[in-house]
Amino acid sequence: MPVIETVGLTKSYGRARGIIDINLQVEEGEIFGFIGPNGAGKSTTIRTLLNFIFPTSGTAKILGLDVVRDSVSIRRQVGYLPAEVSYYDDMTVLDLLRYSARFYASDHLPYARQLADIFELDLCRPIHALSLGNRKKIGIVLALFHRPKLLIFDEPTSGLDPLMQRRFFEVLEEVNSQGTTIFFSSHVLSEVQRLCHRVGIIKEGRILHVGTMDDLRHRYFRNVRVEFKQGMVPQLALPGVLHSQQENGTLSLLYNGDINQLLAALAQYELTNLWLEEPSLEEIFLHYYEKEGV
Amino acid sequence: MQVFRRELGANRKGWLVWTIALAALNILMMSVYPSFRQDTANLEAVMNLFPEAFAKIFGLDQLSMADPIGFYATEAYFMVILFGSLYAAMLGASILSKEEDDKTIEFLLARPISRGRMLADKLLALLALLLLFNVGIGIVTFAAFAIFDVGEYSAATLLRLVTAPFLAHLTFAALAFCLALFFVRRKSATSTAIGMVIGLYFVDVLATLSDKFELLRYFTPYNYVKAVELVRNGFDPANVFVLLGVTIIAVATSFFLYNRRDITV
Repeated sequence: MPVIETVGLTKSYGRARGIIDINLQVEEGEIFGFIGPNGAGKSTTIRTLLNFIFPTSGTAKILGLDVVRDSVSIRRQVGYLPAEVSYYDDMTVLDLLRYSARFYASDHLPYARQLADIFELDLCRPIHALSLGNRKKIGIVLALFHRPKLLIFDEPTSGLDPLMQRRFFEVLEEVNSQGTTIFFSSHVLSEVQRLCHRVGIIKEGRILHVGTMDDLRHRYFRNVRVEFKQGMVPQLALPGVLHSQQENGTLSLLYNGDINQLLAALAQYELTNLWLEEPSLEEIFLHYYEKEGV
Repeated sequence: MQVFRRELGANRKGWLVWTIALAALNILMMSVYPSFRQDTANLEAVMNLFPEAFAKIFGLDQLSMADPIGFYATEAYFMVILFGSLYAAMLGASILSKEEDDKTIEFLLARPISRGRMLADKLLALLALLLLFNVGIGIVTFAAFAIFDVGEYSAATLLRLVTAPFLAHLTFAALAFCLALFFVRRKSATSTAIGMVIGLYFVDVLATLSDKFELLRYFTPYNYVKAVELVRNGFDPANVFVLLGVTIIAVATSFFLYNRRDITV
């Protein structure tokens, strides 16, 4: 049974774009990255999963439970970190943790204190006096402290300094090794690259691509650079040429077609040099962001 | 009950300030009454100075300032009704909308609590705060009647006069709570609620003064808690029924709307 499963999930807000026909499956124990530029629909998807907003059509299930009908039992087993963290200004950090702990059956405060220690969060400070980074840490503790089966993070690392980001990732890797599934949205590629087993790319409300990191890197894309002997650069009209650029007799391509076809096409010319490289993730994502889907 | 407890705690300061303010007002009113009473001749002269319309608004055409109940009913009662309704409406409008305005709703609704349960807790807190508010003012008012030399009065009638505002406050709080669901910002929700309390008060005044607008009086909660009625005839069950009915409808509508609401902060 997938931990998250959406079928044709759609949310439209009048004129503004929402999400369109989102089909996702996240399996138990996975770390799934949800990638896309700002306004692509990442937060809308997450808010629908948590039933803050209601889907216009389609369904979504978390741990086999319907997100609209069974939202209370879902939330008991899910930890959520919102993109923007805001808490009650009249409370101290400890007040908030206590308040939150009262919503759960068993006593989670000892673990909450342990987590606060890891993130060097001062429990006695009033919330209104905390910086964004410290508020984010509260959000992380609140998401983790009841040991949920699924963690949903919306842009988790914004506001955290590099040291805290590293600790955060270490904690995530630890809870993931204990079986916790993690779903997080991001536009920071390095953290996606470091953590995720699989990614989904969303743009303008639609899923463009879902695949493993290796898939993205190896199977589909090649950076091709060709230096032609005559200095005459021909046009390569091949299916799979995504990006083409020429400079000083050198042709650079982002290519995701059949490699044999490419070689056959190149065989007609005399070359001085040829490079086939794995593109960086940035190049792949930029390709998705800039153009319509593959 | 987590949200209920939280709301009682978070609103205790505001509750204390409003309770003390209105209780103090009643003490002040009753403290000047004994000197009023001793000079009945002068009192009559003062009463005659009021324009007729003015007297009618305060019920002075039917009640006399010469007895303590009449004095309280015409001078202090309407302030408890009006200012208390302001408090009730502001509280009702903000108790839920503040969560969306402060973006804390994402925290709250990520806890394992249903929207209905959360709403019920907030409404119960509202009910408890307004009940304590009225009990507090009521106790102080009875104490003021006991402390100052006010002469003979009917305790049963005074009890009616300190109970009835609770019904009006409850109605305004429920209306404001429901109204606030149409806003995301707490500020717009409370401003609208304050506007409703004051606006309806003027409607009531207008309906009292002008025969042309007489029918309008049925559309304000004030009409159902008139001091003159309470002093002369006691509680009319029909009036109580109307206020409780409106309250229940407003609460039911709130549940209906909130369970379908998209939370966008």
